[in-house]
Amino acid sequence: MSEISAPAVEVATARRKPIRLSYLAPRLGLIVFIGLLGYLILLPLIRLQALAFSHGARAYSEAFSEPGIWQVILRTVELALGSLAIALVLGTALAWAASTLSPRLKFLKILPILPIVVPAIASVLGWSFLFSPHPGYLNALLRHLPWWHHLYEGPVDIYTLPWIVIVTGLALTSFIYLFVSAGFENINGELLEAAQVSGSSPAGVFFRVTLPLLRPALIYGSGVALLLALGQFTAPLILGTNNNITVLTTQMYYATQQTPAQYDVAAALGSPLLIFGVTILVLNKILLGDLGRFVTHGGKSFRTSAKSSKLGAIALVVYGIAATLLPIIGLVLVALSPFWSGQLHPSQFTLNAFHQLFHDGQIITAIKTSLIASVIAVAITIPLGYLGATILRRRDEFPLLRPVLDIIVAMPLSIPAVIFGVGFLYAYTRGPIVLYGTNWVLVLVYITLMIPFSARMQLSGMVALGDSYQEASRVSGGGVFRTHLTIMAPLMRATFAGAAALMFILLANEFAASLLVRSPTQNVMGTVLYNYYGNGLYPVVAATALVMVAVTGAGVAIAMIAGGSDIFKKL
Amino acid sequence: MANVSIRGLSKRFGGKVPTTAVDSLDIEIEPGEFLVLLGPSGCGKTTTLRCVAGLESADEGSIAFGERTVFDAGRGTNVPPNKRNIGMVFQSYALWPHMTVRQNIGYPLRARRMKRATASEWIEEAAELVDCSGLLDRYPGQLSGGQQQRVALSRGLVARPDLVLFDEPLSNLDARLRDQVRTEIHELHQRLRFTAVYVTHDQSEALALGDRLAIMRAGKVEQLGRPEEIFEEPGTEYVAGFTGMENRLSLERKDGGWSHYGEPVKGELGFDDHPFDSFAARARPEDLQLVRPGTPLPPDALAFTAIVADSEFGGRWMDVLLTVAGTRLHSRMPAGERGSWVRSLNAGEQVTAYVRPGDTTFFDQDGARIPTKHAARNPASAVGV
Repeated sequence: MSEISAPAVEVATARRKPIRLSYLAPRLGLIVFIGLLGYLILLPLIRLQALAFSHGARAYSEAFSEPGIWQVILRTVELALGSLAIALVLGTALAWAASTLSPRLKFLKILPILPIVVPAIASVLGWSFLFSPHPGYLNALLRHLPWWHHLYEGPVDIYTLPWIVIVTGLALTSFIYLFVSAGFENINGELLEAAQVSGSSPAGVFFRVTLPLLRPALIYGSGVALLLALGQFTAPLILGTNNNITVLTTQMYYATQQTPAQYDVAAALGSPLLIFGVTILVLNKILLGDLGRFVTHGGKSFRTSAKSSKLGAIALVVYGIAATLLPIIGLVLVALSPFWSGQLHPSQFTLNAFHQLFHDGQIITAIKTSLIASVIAVAITIPLGYLGATILRRRDEFPLLRPVLDIIVAMPLSIPAVIFGVGFLYAYTRGPIVLYGTNWVLVLVYITLMIPFSARMQLSGMVALGDSYQEASRVSGGGVFRTHLTIMAPLMRATFAGAAALMFILLANEFAASLLVRSPTQNVMGTVLYNYYGNGLYPVVAATALVMVAVTGAGVAIAMIAGGSDIFKKL
Repeated sequence: MANVSIRGLSKRFGGKVPTTAVDSLDIEIEPGEFLVLLGPSGCGKTTTLRCVAGLESADEGSIAFGERTVFDAGRGTNVPPNKRNIGMVFQSYALWPHMTVRQNIGYPLRARRMKRATASEWIEEAAELVDCSGLLDRYPGQLSGGQQQRVALSRGLVARPDLVLFDEPLSNLDARLRDQVRTEIHELHQRLRFTAVYVTHDQSEALALGDRLAIMRAGKVEQLGRPEEIFEEPGTEYVAGFTGMENRLSLERKDGGWSHYGEPVKGELGFDDHPFDSFAARARPEDLQLVRPGTPLPPDALAFTAIVADSEFGGRWMDVLLTVAGTRLHSRMPAGERGSWVRSLNAGEQVTAYVRPGDTTFFDQDGARIPTKHAARNPASAVGV
């Protein structure tokens, strides 16, 4: 008998069963695992809060008594709600448009996802090159129109809140699109056909059947997008500086840049976002529970009743041009010009900026640092995520520990990266473990940020595989390790590859947390770009951004090859 | 080969609506016996099977294979599935798509650390058993559903396990294949005499395969017995309904005679009916006879008037749907010659329907069977619980 029993302990109260090793061992292992993740993810946040609350919460009173703080909070909320509104309308419309595509044009479905993989900092800079009040190319072009002829600047000022909202909204559209598209795909096509043959018009089907079925996807997607919008950092940082438009995240960054660094104030400033993020997360777990129960799979896949139309394709292409292509064109134009002005002189186009960039050598080091830190982080996150997903998959076991793990694993997704950046900076510049200045602090923050993606993607991979392959192995005599090694690992290979590639792309693009935890001599691609931007070397900035896009593009290509073209749906 | 004893097994599921899937279940399975767990979905048969496999842990009770206790809730014993020396065939086949048929069948042997040369022999043998020798180097994705299930069967048997478990293995196959693979399973069992537990909701599968059947209801065994016993002498009305006695007459004493929801039923019941004022009579469609009104009836007939609701041609027989006092009954009559009376029945027509007490089983209000003198066979010895 393989049963390992602890020596039968004579318990005075004979009614109590002796606790057995077979009961204890997995729970102890799980507690160690949760402890490890907790140390990684929670401890920096807790230490930060402890600091903010020290000396009678001095940091809180300082942060929230500063004049203008309520305006900052209001602006943060405005930015979040405004961009969410734009994203909801555009994202849903685009998802609908994508579902009307004829099979020949199905590849256009990828267009709305591109803003996720184009580095945020690159596209934000691209926008500023196009719509900066005076030298912005598109502004200069618009000023040729008769009714704007008299203008010296504008008509668009990208450095104002409405435009920051629009830029952010265009980026968030991708996320809503992803969620709603997945929602569409989970709708059984026969449900819609049933409504149609029962006499509903296409519009009736949409409003009476499709939209109500989409409600969970919309609510969930809005929640995620709202959290992302509240944590926006890059666009307000780059575009808001000119007119001193700040939000909570940028204020946090500025607080850490003071001498001495005011970690406690930064922590206090981040608290509203932290509390909101965790509240949403817990509410979501309580209210929605498992999203699986909203799935209406089975039967035929989703098809809209509308005939495949050119209109959908046009909508997708227009969005693709506006959200992805335009900013990249802006980058290309500036990168090729000797300097940035509103005027284009194709005869003066030069590759000088690229020469300068690679001559400087900073970018080479930064690319190396980015790649090494990302690869190590991915290599560690995949097994962590696998372990996490395996535990989360067991619904009937560990009724107490499993929800704890679930929440910890999801936290980095609902808390802005800037907060983790501040937390890791503070935690690893002092004991017990000092990692500041090494690449390990980057690796640790990257692992933290990626754990939700790793666990989630692998969990959905496991759900798709089902339990029977594992069960068949167990009843055939395969032990736990043999089953994971010879059955699960080969079957999950595509999921591993897809998750790794996706995380790699996200990490190569990472800017907010990297900017915070790096030391002055340490750079990743995004921070090099920010350095150049601070020095006003715009063609080099643009060239750097294009290099970043190229590295990401290579990552995307690898991801698509490894995980199939629908890899981004697994988010 | 060992006997399997399941004692006092209970399994509850939590969740929003807590349910008791298995309710203090006791079953003894003899060595070499083919036991079928039969019941509708949700009756706990699959949960029982999964508890025996070790894929699910019961809350109470014990399971022993021979002398070896593999599960005992009281003592905390729970041998993991891979140490139970079992084989299992899944509804979804669960063949690993990244392995060839040979690797799939060989897996239980590899897991048991068998020497390569011996294993290779056993794999060939096991593939031979199910006629899959030619498929050994293919991948599961290249096989048809029937072939996949044969391979799964071979994988379940290859290691000569103490016990083979079947979880609705035929449900994913189409009707013709289902009969074919069923026959193969039966032949294999006749030949190899492995101990088996087989879960299904299909009564014809159960009758054909089982040495004994356990009819399950709400986590308990309603009746356990040989297929003939279950079929001919259902112990309870639930079992009768589940094994094809779909016609139900609800008889009540009225003015010295009997009636079904007010519709008078003529005739003798043929047993001592004095203790009963109301009970149910169950009969199979084949035993519900129809004749023209006014036709002389056999002396022991229980007859009543019915209205034809619909009639369907079934080849050798006619399926006639009847309405009697608002209830539905189903009669299956030999179709007879072309133009026969049965074939020409139309909806709305009045007919006389009758059953004979010898073809009818009676149940009291609690659903327990009432013994009758007509039961020429042995009284149901295995009527249980």
